[in-house]
Amino acid sequence: MEMIIGGAFQGKSDYAKEKHPEICWKNGGKLEEYQLMKAEGVLDFQEFIRKELKAGHDVAGLAEKLAEGNPDIVVVSQEVGYGVVPMDAFDRKYREAVGRVCTGLASKSKKVTRVVCGIGTVIKDA
Amino acid sequence: MMAVVTGGSGSGKSAFAEDKILSLGQGKRFYIATMHPYDEESYKRVERHRKMRAGKGFETVECYTGLENLEFPQDAIVLLECMSNLAANEMFEESGAGADTVEAVLRGVRKLKSQVRHLVIVTNEIFSEAASYEGDTVRYQEYLGKINQKLGEMADQVVEVVYGIPIWHKGGKTGENAVE
Repeated sequence: MEMIIGGAFQGKSDYAKEKHPEICWKNGGKLEEYQLMKAEGVLDFQEFIRKELKAGHDVAGLAEKLAEGNPDIVVVSQEVGYGVVPMDAFDRKYREAVGRVCTGLASKSKKVTRVVCGIGTVIKDA
Repeated sequence: MMAVVTGGSGSGKSAFAEDKILSLGQGKRFYIATMHPYDEESYKRVERHRKMRAGKGFETVECYTGLENLEFPQDAIVLLECMSNLAANEMFEESGAGADTVEAVLRGVRKLKSQVRHLVIVTNEIFSEAASYEGDTVRYQEYLGKINQKLGEMADQVVEVVYGIPIWHKGGKTGENAVE
């Protein structure tokens, strides 16, 4: 597994596509879980989590499930936990869930790259 | 030794900070809990952290305001979590320091640092987002930002935890492994 992370509008998707031109990318907000388990690469993975939470699904075991079911996937996800704690309860839940799932995925990933200003810095290369 | 562990929400900074404490050898371990629970969500949060700490030999000391009033033995190894809660309590609670929050907190940290063997402080990155705030919220960001800067000056190590992966901004060991 590989992860590419960073803030909004930092060029994460372009970076991912450039690094992995062979991958047929899927959009996280439009995937069902069984499709995620078959995808080569997913963009806006945080939107998959939002969609699952909106549908009332628990994402606590998602990192382990994905690491087992689709260990070669490349996950591109936005970091959403660097602001003031949101007033809205769902926003708080979403923000924390993205963090927990991505922390789980990062521990399973061979490589994690953080993109800032379009520039990728490898922060884990196991 | 003093270390500051920072990061975003759900970044794995608490787990990292606890591992850091456990790596600092023998001594009496204390956990300064600063979150004042008031609703179901916050009680659940406290419970999650209690479970994480279970079996790691911490004595928990609750401190919502007035950090400088605490006393510890010289061989204490102290984990303070989280500065973002302590600063908010000092600002907004009746017993808090109000406009004197930054100084009151820093007095407490200086005293702690001089008293104990090792000190690890968890704080929070709440400064990078599109939304802009006014009034109390922006003042809170300002106070916590100032506190964090001073902590960074005082600390031997400053580490940002990104999804469990440590990024060292000051001191620290290069190549130290990510928290599993």
